[in-house]
Amino acid sequence: MKKHVRKISDPDRRHLLRTAAAFGALGLLPFHPATAQDIPSLKLRELYTKALDFSRKAQELEGSIVRIRGYMAPPLKADSSFFVLTKRPMAVCPFCEGEADWPDDILAIYTQRTIEVVHFTRPLWVTGELALGNHKDADTGFFSKLRLINARYERA
Amino acid sequence: MKRLLIASTALSLLGGAALAGGHVTQEKNEWYKAAQQELKAKMAVAPITSKAKNIILLIADGNGVGSNYATRLYQGQQKGGYGDENVMFKEQLPHLALVKTYNTNAQTPDSAGTGTAMHSGVKTKAGVVGVDETLNRGDCSAVASARVDSIAEILSGQGKAVGVVSTARLTHATPASAYAHAADRNFEDDSKLPEDCTTPDIASQLITAMDKGIVDLAMGGGRRHFLPKEATDEEGKNGKRTDGKNLIETARSSGVQYAWDDVSAKRLKLDGSPILALFESSHMKYEHDRTGEPSLAEMTEKAIKALSNDKDGYFLSIEAGRVDHASHDSNLHRTVTDGVAFDEVVRVAMEMTSPEDTLIIVTADHEHALAFNGYCGRGTPITGLCYGINADGEKHTGELNLANDGKPYSVATFANGIGSILSEGGQGSRPVVTQDEAVDPDYVQQALIPLDYETHSGEDVAVYARGPWAHLLNGTVEQNFIFHVMMQAAHSH
Repeated sequence: MKKHVRKISDPDRRHLLRTAAAFGALGLLPFHPATAQDIPSLKLRELYTKALDFSRKAQELEGSIVRIRGYMAPPLKADSSFFVLTKRPMAVCPFCEGEADWPDDILAIYTQRTIEVVHFTRPLWVTGELALGNHKDADTGFFSKLRLINARYERA
Repeated sequence: MKRLLIASTALSLLGGAALAGGHVTQEKNEWYKAAQQELKAKMAVAPITSKAKNIILLIADGNGVGSNYATRLYQGQQKGGYGDENVMFKEQLPHLALVKTYNTNAQTPDSAGTGTAMHSGVKTKAGVVGVDETLNRGDCSAVASARVDSIAEILSGQGKAVGVVSTARLTHATPASAYAHAADRNFEDDSKLPEDCTTPDIASQLITAMDKGIVDLAMGGGRRHFLPKEATDEEGKNGKRTDGKNLIETARSSGVQYAWDDVSAKRLKLDGSPILALFESSHMKYEHDRTGEPSLAEMTEKAIKALSNDKDGYFLSIEAGRVDHASHDSNLHRTVTDGVAFDEVVRVAMEMTSPEDTLIIVTADHEHALAFNGYCGRGTPITGLCYGINADGEKHTGELNLANDGKPYSVATFANGIGSILSEGGQGSRPVVTQDEAVDPDYVQQALIPLDYETHSGEDVAVYARGPWAHLLNGTVEQNFIFHVMMQAAHSH
């Protein structure tokens, strides 16, 4: 049975956009407590099965606003609205350094605004709409299977 | 009162006199009885001085005495105990020494230098493979003059079969040191070689060694270094080679069996015909995350079965490569879960062989910057936060010990690494962590010094041994001595 998950409504979007505008100069945006309370919070590893397929939870939450804890991998490029969330801190940008490997269970994050880089050791909460399916980033060529889009983030 | 004390002293002296007669007051104590049993068992251990038909060298990368302590407690706690009382399989081996692991130019060693010491009998510089210390790292032109023979090459020349197994890439420093000679451990495929380098890359050297019959079985990760960059492997990942060579096809065309996952591994014929198994594009998975590929213990079982077909015996080098990687990531959970998987390998090796004809050596190549805090009560989760000591019993109090900053702290911390509490600007304080967060499989242990990767340390490691000439491993030894014990065992009359 599909679990009932509250999806973002237009008033919510407007509220979040207003909040974003208010804190737009910062990359880190606070959330309205009433909004954050209702958003499912989960660990990055809960999105994948051990065989690295989408978990049942990920499939149930597709298209929903979710809140996920993780770490910002060193970004692929400056002035981007894209970064990779890892479940444990990752010192290198594997996309930049050919010999390093991305972990298999990562999450591509597409933010509303240009990101403000957070050191890779600092945990984040990232909130956005969960998107499933293969996608190749037009700018970086980065291939992802799972993404958060229209995302915002704050330090955990 | 004084008279009473004098009377007690007299009784103690009488007790002491009783000891000479064979009785002590605590002889019914369980600790006392267990130690007496151990004494008898150790008195019955006799050196085995026959020739070793088979030699198995088991290396857990980065698993020094401290890391091994963490794994012992984790394994014991998984069995439902406090952890301290647990005895790992390797700890049941009768002979033990401490090993000094430094490289000739490094107080803190790296795996290329330490692997070369164990496989070739000489210490060398950090970062070089199968060459002596006269070679400066990266100088390809000096490989021929600095080359040293490995025990795999020597014993293969004397008729023994040879196997190399690792959960890391087969081209990585430790397994490479069993069969390759390279001026830099990073020369895993041709794309990393300097332009004027005439020494083949490490992957090419493995395939050549298999073609020549020096290596009969190789199982591990590292598929990408055997494939051209234009090629995709069975899991859709690209190769790294720039010379266009598909070394897997080269091996298969010369009659080598090939496997790439757990299903194809089951189809391998263990009849002594050569085997190449590459289960991942890069390193194999941590045991905690493993799916679709065999465990190190399963690979070991296959290797022993396959190599046992050789009537002259075999040399088998096995590495648990990812114990090291987990500690570099400051994630003690995966350090100890891969450590437990390594102990399963020891169990398999012990059960499938006889001490009369097989020398088993279990060791590590180096330790990590891992430290343990106190004072924790028994049963405190070894990957978690420190509970207090219960003065009225055995098990911890269930109350978290607090440091002077008012916050709990974990039993184990790394001295450096990505878990540093210092921010980029050098300021910082320790985050508050709950027990649930600390024992989470993805928890990163707190550290002080901020570094991108937690480092090795130069501390000693232990070496455990059983079988012919294993008794030579006692006291404190240089790491290259291990090679000489293996050679003595292989050649004694």
